[in-house]
Amino acid sequence: MKRIGFIVNPVAGMGGSVGLKGTDGNVEEAKRRGAVPHAGERAQRALEQLHGKKDLAFLTCAGAMGEAVLTASGLENYEIVYTPGSDTTSDDTRAAAKAFLKTGVDLILFCGGDGTARDIFSVAGRDVPMLGIPAGVKMYSGVFAVNPDAAAELVAGLDKAALRDSEVMDVDEEAYRAGTLDTRLFGIARTPVIRGMVAVSKQVYEQPDEERTKREIAQFMQEVMLPGALYIIGAGTTTDAIVRYLGHQKTLLGVDVVRNGRLIVSDADEQVLLRLTEREKDVRIIISPIGAQGFILGRGNQQISPAIVRRAGVGHVIVVATPHKLQDIPELLVDSGDPALDREFGDSIQVICGYRIAQRKKVRQQGQD
Amino acid sequence: MYIFVHDNHCTMQTKILLDEEQMPRRWYNVQADLPTPLDPPLHPATHKPVGPDDLKAIFPMELIKQEVSTDRYIDIPGEVQDVLRLWRPSPLYRAFRLEKYLKTPAKIYYKWEGVSPAGSHKTNTSVPQAYYNMKAGIERIATETGAGQWGSALAFATMLYDLECTVYMVRSSYTQKPYRKSMMQVWGAECIPSPSMKTNSGKAVLEKDPETPGALGIAISEAVEDAATHDNTNYALGSVLNHVCLHQTIIGQECREQLAMVDDYPDVVIGCVGGGSNFGGIGFPFAGDKMTGKHKDVDIIGVEPASCPTLTKGAFMYDFGDVAGLTPLLKMFTLGHDFVPPSIHAGGLRYHGDSPIVSRLVHDGVMRAISCHQSEAFEAGQIFSRTEGIIVAPETSHAVRCAIDEAIKCKKTGEEKTILFNCSGHGNFDMSAYDAYYAGQLVDYEYPDELIKEAIGRIPKIQ
Repeated sequence: MKRIGFIVNPVAGMGGSVGLKGTDGNVEEAKRRGAVPHAGERAQRALEQLHGKKDLAFLTCAGAMGEAVLTASGLENYEIVYTPGSDTTSDDTRAAAKAFLKTGVDLILFCGGDGTARDIFSVAGRDVPMLGIPAGVKMYSGVFAVNPDAAAELVAGLDKAALRDSEVMDVDEEAYRAGTLDTRLFGIARTPVIRGMVAVSKQVYEQPDEERTKREIAQFMQEVMLPGALYIIGAGTTTDAIVRYLGHQKTLLGVDVVRNGRLIVSDADEQVLLRLTEREKDVRIIISPIGAQGFILGRGNQQISPAIVRRAGVGHVIVVATPHKLQDIPELLVDSGDPALDREFGDSIQVICGYRIAQRKKVRQQGQD
Repeated sequence: MYIFVHDNHCTMQTKILLDEEQMPRRWYNVQADLPTPLDPPLHPATHKPVGPDDLKAIFPMELIKQEVSTDRYIDIPGEVQDVLRLWRPSPLYRAFRLEKYLKTPAKIYYKWEGVSPAGSHKTNTSVPQAYYNMKAGIERIATETGAGQWGSALAFATMLYDLECTVYMVRSSYTQKPYRKSMMQVWGAECIPSPSMKTNSGKAVLEKDPETPGALGIAISEAVEDAATHDNTNYALGSVLNHVCLHQTIIGQECREQLAMVDDYPDVVIGCVGGGSNFGGIGFPFAGDKMTGKHKDVDIIGVEPASCPTLTKGAFMYDFGDVAGLTPLLKMFTLGHDFVPPSIHAGGLRYHGDSPIVSRLVHDGVMRAISCHQSEAFEAGQIFSRTEGIIVAPETSHAVRCAIDEAIKCKKTGEEKTILFNCSGHGNFDMSAYDAYYAGQLVDYEYPDELIKEAIGRIPKIQ
């Protein structure tokens, strides 16, 4: 029996349809502009496919935050562990997540957007895996299934699923409405993925697991790191594996600097990096794509600013990622804030994905169609 | 060029066919035409040149003699010719439809080796190898196979001469290509996924890494170990070695005859390269013409996958042929015997090293090599299937890619070049790979050579 904590953020996505670019703190305005809640429908589309799965038990919230969708989907095996007030807010999401943790769940399945993901992660962290049914305005986080059907498939196959790392992004809604996208890496959650298998027709290919490939990538990076060169290492768990392989603690959500196998600076900001690279001849940058859209610059690694990238040179940016991660990202995006620099990356980039193994991935500059 | 007139409709000759009695009766040994001899293979332990006695444990004497021979021609035994005639001489096609599709002034010819029972060029050497082993009183042959082409070809050949056959098949291919395994079963061979628990080398790899997809280099270690530890058993290799490439030269010799029938000679000769035998098979007779000054300008191109670019990015040095370091050290282009290439669909091209003769000829500039990504190769394979009809193996599609690119260059320059490529095998058991191509799931793996080159001094030396 798998226990699933199920939360719907009923107002998720409402801001989008009426040009509000996000619904946090804006529900009234969205309603006034005629927005209709649709998160419940999206969630229902996923849950209906779990009908008849006897090995699933749900913990949920009363009303529109869960119960209503479960009933509408014909699922009866659920227990209400939290009852929200009439107008639900992010406090309710966090309170529900706390209730799930207290009772114990194998997965938190939620329907919402980046805001919902952030609220749940702030409570659950990496202790409980989470999976999003996409319904929000912004979905830069990597915790979402591509659509409700894929989410249902993952829940149904949970006992066969492995976990992968996925970034939870924090988007500044005020800035976003004003036209600036400022996304920060908020945390790295764990999300189910069907274990090591990519179905191609009826054939099944084995793929090595995430931890193993991270180790392979780290081993290769250690092998090719040059003496004397300064390595700026971006956020994420793949880059974390590289620093750990060298025997140091990595700042998971931040940028660290390594030279000659030694950790020089932890959690460096742009100013520190500018100072460090000022008279440096050989600067290299190792980064991993961040978030659902696979941003290699501009999201989650803002410390590595265009000025820093220029000092290193685009040719000295080494991108690393596991094959699983790359499989979910059709093309990588670059949005450093400096369009001329973005263009220097060209149409495609090499991504290190194993020991002496790379993939060629298409690159798209943000704003290019 | 023959032109047929039928119902007032002129048709140009599509297939250029040799009669059975025109099948070459000798193999061409390119070692005779090398300006200086090849660097000798070295003993894995002593690093001294290996002698015939060192190889006796796993090869019959006739093949050892062929391995080191510098005679220009070596006779094909009559009993081997009888078997080869089941499908040889193989047809040479003029690819009119492909030329028309590409709107190229170039003439494209392809040698179709998919007509053999196993569906590829591999039977050209599996038959003589099984024959010489049978003559030497051997009862069983152990071998490895990557994509299954070689394993099925050897299964067919050992059946003809009543030998047992054990095939260690690279694990990723074993699951990807179940029908190759089924063919081996039909022809009476035993097929084992590698690495296996049957050998010490297999066990060692599995203990370190239970989920390894396997690699040709690992499977070779297993087969060599099996042969070396059983008196009644010999080893057979489907590519790389000199005698294997020798047996494949029947391809290039036939091509030269067939092209002469239409008064042509190639400007460009193309083959895909894994271990080098199909490329050497079509290329060596022309390389001989080039080295002896008969046709100095023929351009001979090997095409390898970008993920395993041995000839284009590897180092020319002594290295082991297998992962465990059981084989003699060969002077060849290599990416390092411990390199496990990613699981591309062209499994037959996943090899860290290359034929010492091909390596030498590329090193000396007699032949050259290029590489391409697998999605580029599949795209070419699709164009070929939709113009010429044949669905080629993923390995072969690399050669098709190059032939198409050369023909497109001719379109730009207006040159009417004659392009010949070895269409080494059909892809009828590779449909899942084509499915992946259409599902947009092909990954364009490549070898990060810039990073490696920069750090080369820090990478542990091979020896």
